[in-house]
Amino acid sequence: MTAPDSTLDHPGLTPLAQQTLRRLMRVWFDFERRLSRVPILKRLDTGTFTIDDFRCLLRNLRPQVVEGARWITRCASSFDRDHAHMRSMVIGHAMDEHRDYEMLEHDYVAAGGQYEEIQKAERNIGTEALHAFLMSQATQPNPVDMLGAMFIIEGLGDKMANNWADRIEELTKCSPDATRFIRYHGENDASHMEKFYTMLGDAASTEESAAAIVRTAKVVARLYALQLEEVDNV
Amino acid sequence: MSVYLTSTGAFLPNEPVSNDRVETVLGAIHDRPSRLRRRVLKSNGITTRHYALDESQATTHQNEDMAVAAAKQCLERSPLEANDVGMLSVATSQGDMVLPGFGSMVQGGLGIPSVELHTAHGICSSSMMALKAAFNNIRVGDQQTALVVSSELTSRLLKRSRYEAVAAEPGTIGFDFNSEFLRWMLSDGAGALLLQDRPGRGLSLRIDWMCSFSHADSLPVCMGAGRAKGEDSPLSWQDYSTLGEAEADGAMLLRQDVRLLEHIVKLGVDGFLRLIDEGRLVVDDIDHFLCHYSSHHFKGKIADMLTAAGCMIPERKWFTNLYTKGNTGCAAMFIMLDEFIETMSIQPGARIFCHVPESGRFNTTYMHLTAVEVSK
Repeated sequence: MTAPDSTLDHPGLTPLAQQTLRRLMRVWFDFERRLSRVPILKRLDTGTFTIDDFRCLLRNLRPQVVEGARWITRCASSFDRDHAHMRSMVIGHAMDEHRDYEMLEHDYVAAGGQYEEIQKAERNIGTEALHAFLMSQATQPNPVDMLGAMFIIEGLGDKMANNWADRIEELTKCSPDATRFIRYHGENDASHMEKFYTMLGDAASTEESAAAIVRTAKVVARLYALQLEEVDNV
Repeated sequence: MSVYLTSTGAFLPNEPVSNDRVETVLGAIHDRPSRLRRRVLKSNGITTRHYALDESQATTHQNEDMAVAAAKQCLERSPLEANDVGMLSVATSQGDMVLPGFGSMVQGGLGIPSVELHTAHGICSSSMMALKAAFNNIRVGDQQTALVVSSELTSRLLKRSRYEAVAAEPGTIGFDFNSEFLRWMLSDGAGALLLQDRPGRGLSLRIDWMCSFSHADSLPVCMGAGRAKGEDSPLSWQDYSTLGEAEADGAMLLRQDVRLLEHIVKLGVDGFLRLIDEGRLVVDDIDHFLCHYSSHHFKGKIADMLTAAGCMIPERKWFTNLYTKGNTGCAAMFIMLDEFIETMSIQPGARIFCHVPESGRFNTTYMHLTAVEVSK
């Protein structure tokens, strides 16, 4: 939701889906404010972010990106035949992203880090909580609430590309070769958001499912921020 | 107790200044025409504005004089006299004197005896803080009448000599985009509103509610003056040995961190969605939307995001006079309300929604009004 320009055309949302979208946007805005308070990201705003901060950020994102492929595929397998449409979308999404971490590793080296170092990076305690929650939700039958998780994580991809990438290059003087991962996500997540609007109409079909989507978005937003608050705390 | 807005007034100094004369009034810095001019003016859409400066950059009106002039017009349009005013609530970003509070100076100028006084300090949203204090004072029954005045004279900070006073390496200008940006955005003016515990004759606007959400806990300063390159600078302007040193270091320049500005759109919309969620705002019921956006550029951004959220107020219901009266900071909403009431045909029962976002350190304010008419 950082780039309204890319999220405009979603006609035909039911009133409930529209209301769910408004609630999700509020969760997103709250998440963005929380991110602004996270020390490593606050340094982006105040202009004191260093190349060490950038490497730290990549190192702490990698385990979650690697695990991301797992919870998305788990999520796909939890949809039954009555939700085949959603399952197809999720499978397509998993295909798009399941080797993203290779790009991230490349960027880490381009930013002056050692390949072995990032490969060894362990989950920090925030990543541990985030991953456990995502895997647990993805294992439930027909986990339509995972749409809330997608909203936050895809929205963040958009934010990384649009708000972080240029700023990181400006402050750390790193080469554009080191920001490929965060840029790639911005370019692709806009089309993912289009898929999101299509799915929201199906998924937010009852008050209960709408509430579950918003709740999962809130939990994922909190745990994602926790992951960034706890950088290198393994 | 219900509270009614029963009269308004405005004061805009001197003749309107067109885009090609801005630099004639504020002065071309180091005698060189600005390279930013076209870009910023195209983006903000402002075509005329007013300055309390003449072409030699001498001040033609004090800030308190403008506040008094707007307040007098507001009282002249009302059957009430200055002596009937129980509370005077005033806002500005920068009074003529550092101390005392701006409200004291405005009271002195108006000659209202024994008034209950309030001064709000801040940027654009300070007028809404002053208004809320007056609204509440009448609501609880402490006062029957309150005069609320907001006034800005920022051009004094934008004149050429302010920029030329910044020490620079030979061949450089000593200031950046963020400090020149506001030169093309802000201008001068004052507005006044009269609040009463009963409707006036003819049309009045009942204040249904006012609320605000500030986000300084999450975000750094986006617009400010007083530190040499923003809030992380170790020295406040008051820490230098002399004010001359502070000025030479650029600590007195008015700055906008343009990169952070997009937050204000999101935070404004966030408050909007919160009010819808809480059932206080029903978008379909709104007849008029008065939004203090600082630049035409942001109107599009706000509209896009409201559309995305499915709660856009149709464009024909939006009212502003930004393009002809300029961005007058905290005075803007009162100047806008004044023109709205004076020029629009407002039907009894009409619902009016006002929004003032402030980028200073991100405060968003909202007000809901309903038009009521008492037969003459």
